[in-house]
Amino acid sequence: MNQLAIKYIILILLLTLTFISPCPALDADEIVTAGFNYWRGKASVGTVEMLIHREDWQRSMTIKAWTRGQKDSLFYIAAPPKDYGNGTLKKGREMWIYNPKVNRVVKVPPSMMSQSWMGSDFSNNDLAKSDSLLLDYHHSIIGTETHEGKTVYIIKSMPKPNAPVVWGMQHLKIREDQIWLSEEFFDEDLEPVKIMTAMEIQMLGGKLFPRVWRMRNVDEQDRYTQLTYESLEFKSSLPDRLFTLSSLKQRRR
Amino acid sequence: MSIETKMAWRNIWRNPRRTILTGCAITFATVLLVFMLSFQFGSYETMINTSVKISSGHLQIQAEKYQEKKSIRLVIPEPRAIAEIVDQIPEVAAYTFRGQAFSLISSKDRTYGVVVTGIDPQKEITVSRIKKLVQAGNFLAAEDVNQALVGNLLAKNLRVSIGDELTLLGQGRDGSIGATVVQVKGIFRSGIDEFDRSAMQIPLSTFQDTFSMEEAVHEVVVIGKSLSDVSRIKTQLKAALSVLDNRKPLKTLDWQELMPGLRQAIEMDLVSGLIFYGLLIIVVAFSILNTFLMAIFERTKEFGVMMAVGTTPRRLTKILLIESMSMTLISIITGICIGIGITYYFQIHGIDFSGGSELLSQFGITGRMYPKLSLLSVSIGPFMVLFFTFFAALYPALKVRRLRPVEAMTAI
Repeated sequence: MNQLAIKYIILILLLTLTFISPCPALDADEIVTAGFNYWRGKASVGTVEMLIHREDWQRSMTIKAWTRGQKDSLFYIAAPPKDYGNGTLKKGREMWIYNPKVNRVVKVPPSMMSQSWMGSDFSNNDLAKSDSLLLDYHHSIIGTETHEGKTVYIIKSMPKPNAPVVWGMQHLKIREDQIWLSEEFFDEDLEPVKIMTAMEIQMLGGKLFPRVWRMRNVDEQDRYTQLTYESLEFKSSLPDRLFTLSSLKQRRR
Repeated sequence: MSIETKMAWRNIWRNPRRTILTGCAITFATVLLVFMLSFQFGSYETMINTSVKISSGHLQIQAEKYQEKKSIRLVIPEPRAIAEIVDQIPEVAAYTFRGQAFSLISSKDRTYGVVVTGIDPQKEITVSRIKKLVQAGNFLAAEDVNQALVGNLLAKNLRVSIGDELTLLGQGRDGSIGATVVQVKGIFRSGIDEFDRSAMQIPLSTFQDTFSMEEAVHEVVVIGKSLSDVSRIKTQLKAALSVLDNRKPLKTLDWQELMPGLRQAIEMDLVSGLIFYGLLIIVVAFSILNTFLMAIFERTKEFGVMMAVGTTPRRLTKILLIESMSMTLISIITGICIGIGITYYFQIHGIDFSGGSELLSQFGITGRMYPKLSLLSVSIGPFMVLFFTFFAALYPALKVRRLRPVEAMTAI
């Protein structure tokens, strides 16, 4: 047997061990990373209906989304027709917006990153800094609860010193099967600001996945943005050329 | 003339040098107060008028909560109905409609977040000074479409000049994405950095198209014939608007509510001014106190004699008070006259502030400043001087009552 084969065997053994053992003393960092990766997958193609709900008004859009790994995303608005073709490309921590009417790509300046994305309750930062949770925060388990018969880890995430973060603290609820149940955002004074909750966990794209995500401001009940997956497909990879400015400029079907 | 007045008058001129010196202190304080207060009031009016004529107007009608939230959805759906109301108020000098939306503005290589204002070029010039502030290029014309005016600092940040194209991306009233390309037609400079850095104006029609506004606007900007008309216009507008049948309530705001920063700046300036005037008045009051106390010590023997020959303490007090008050009054009147003279000169010719500090330029004061005489600015300072000197003079005048004739006569 060569060395590579030995490595593989050890790896497989380790993996089976982790699956077999109930493993109560899980590391919080691992739970978060695993949950995040489960959520994003290696790459995904999906269609999402985004409902922006306000007290006196609401509006929905259909968005086509491509994601790859922890950093790259591409979104396109497929409906309503008025907004058809507007796109957003996120690469690392940078974002660009494309508008078909004026046929221009605009880079979102740093000062605008805290503004809302397409008028929703998601800010540009929520999209662009999504992997900030993994890189810039320390995680610790502060409790557990059960959800549909499964253990849910409640995780407190505090920013690392000097990390360029948006939130002063986050609370995560991640189920033992790596499904992300909620993410609550706190400001620097540790006051809750907004909360994202996942609902309707079902088979989606070949795995259990929450079909509905809702982002809501903590102090306003009647104001939220809800994402509903209409379709979702996980892929092993997506080509590089998809996540480029020229791809952003191309009109999509 | 009563005997007391006659005696008091003679006493005043017994030591002319001292009287004149004390009088001069009072006169000087009065002149200073009249001038400074007129100057402050004048500068406030300049500040208010310049600020008002650049952005806010004297009054604005907006949808309720628009001022706090600035949400594009909070609109005045039928501005024509409002126009009819405003037309009927006689104190209104001019009005215009505006739309406002926060947008991304990008040139070839730069992008900034900017408040884009849609203006009606013809009406705008009756309300604001923006046309006169255009440094390069031209002001918008009535038939312009997709043209824009930008502040000079914004133009510098975006690295654009006249004729360059800017992409505008924002959110429309219905939540859709508003986008358009505009051409820079003019660059303005107001001197208010904040405004020059983050303001862009486009024709109202272009604005309404881009942001799916239909007929709606965000602000009805009203200018009164003078600043003092504002409260009267406000009451009339409020009454008229409450009758108007509107699904969403409208609100009338005056310049103080529109620009709380300006009001606070004025209040702060006024308070620091008042502290200074308070100190000035106290110094003057003490100099009066000193003069009269000295007079009493000097004249103890004289008072003793007067009491010995039967002058009542009450009468002595009266004489002393007449002395001090007539001296103060003469000085104050002289002071008011000189003060008015000086102030009036500057009211006509102005004071050069062209080297104006950063602070002043924030409020749009860049050239000359004009003090403004008013009944209030002329009377309030002198009245305070009179009030405090009266109390300063009261103490020695009452002290006389405690003199014993025999002891007083033997005093040196």
